[in-house]
Amino acid sequence: MNASLTTPSVTEEAQKQTMKHTCEHHAECMKVIQAILDDEATDAEKEHFRTNMDKCIPCIESYRLEKCIKDSLNLKIQKKPCPQSILDTIISKINS
Amino acid sequence: MLVAMSETLTTNEYTDDLRYEVFNREFMPHIDSMYNFAFRLTMDEDDANDLVQDTYLKAFRFISSFEQGTNAKAWLFRILKNSFINDYRKKSKEPSKVDYQEVETTYNSEEASDTTYTVDLRADAVQELIGDEVANALNSLPVDFRTVIILCDIEGFTYEEMAKILDIPIGTVRSRLHRARNLLKEKLKSYASSMGYDS
Repeated sequence: MNASLTTPSVTEEAQKQTMKHTCEHHAECMKVIQAILDDEATDAEKEHFRTNMDKCIPCIESYRLEKCIKDSLNLKIQKKPCPQSILDTIISKINS
Repeated sequence: MLVAMSETLTTNEYTDDLRYEVFNREFMPHIDSMYNFAFRLTMDEDDANDLVQDTYLKAFRFISSFEQGTNAKAWLFRILKNSFINDYRKKSKEPSKVDYQEVETTYNSEEASDTTYTVDLRADAVQELIGDEVANALNSLPVDFRTVIILCDIEGFTYEEMAKILDIPIGTVRSRLHRARNLLKEKLKSYASSMGYDS
């Protein structure tokens, strides 16, 4: 195997050291993550997200999880068409 | 109750032709979303059919309190939600009889606001779940929590629209959504575990 693939570069090593493995304000971060994903974040929340999220492992993982759940709800759950009989009943009742 | 549905309490002059035109143009395009919302609230096809039908007939009858150019989908969802609470909730066949107030109190407690409160669930495990499993997890939530998730994540309403549909402040929308998602994660976690996706 190529050594360059297994040995982290100096920059990667430096980057790893700055990554946080615990988040001291995770509950607050969870609210920010939710607001960002819902496109409802305030300017302060967006700023918090920009400055903190890329160096905090628990927050990055939470963001991935929340996004995945939101996407699953939106894309995976079956949406049924309204039965034609209901449409017909509504139309006939409002026309009577 | 229906008068209160109009924020401004204004009534608009509608000719007969305009009533039908607005009904067809503004209301009918949302019927599939309304049907799915009704089904997820009542968890019963017959009740969902009746609820959608009742809602559309009310919408037609009270069309003069709908202001053209405002959000018809949110207006309709609000009528449906009110009809559900007033007419269907009592006879709902929903198996979960968890009292919402009780759940909200629990989640408002000090313990729940603990900063360490997280569910041990990985995104990869969620990705493995199929639609029915996600739907079952959602359906197992108490109805008020289920509702905010449906409105936000499935129907894409804004917090402000949700506040109007549910008659609650935006702050309550945010916190209820937050709690609902924590509950949903617990349910998804148990599905993922039972399927062996979490190891």
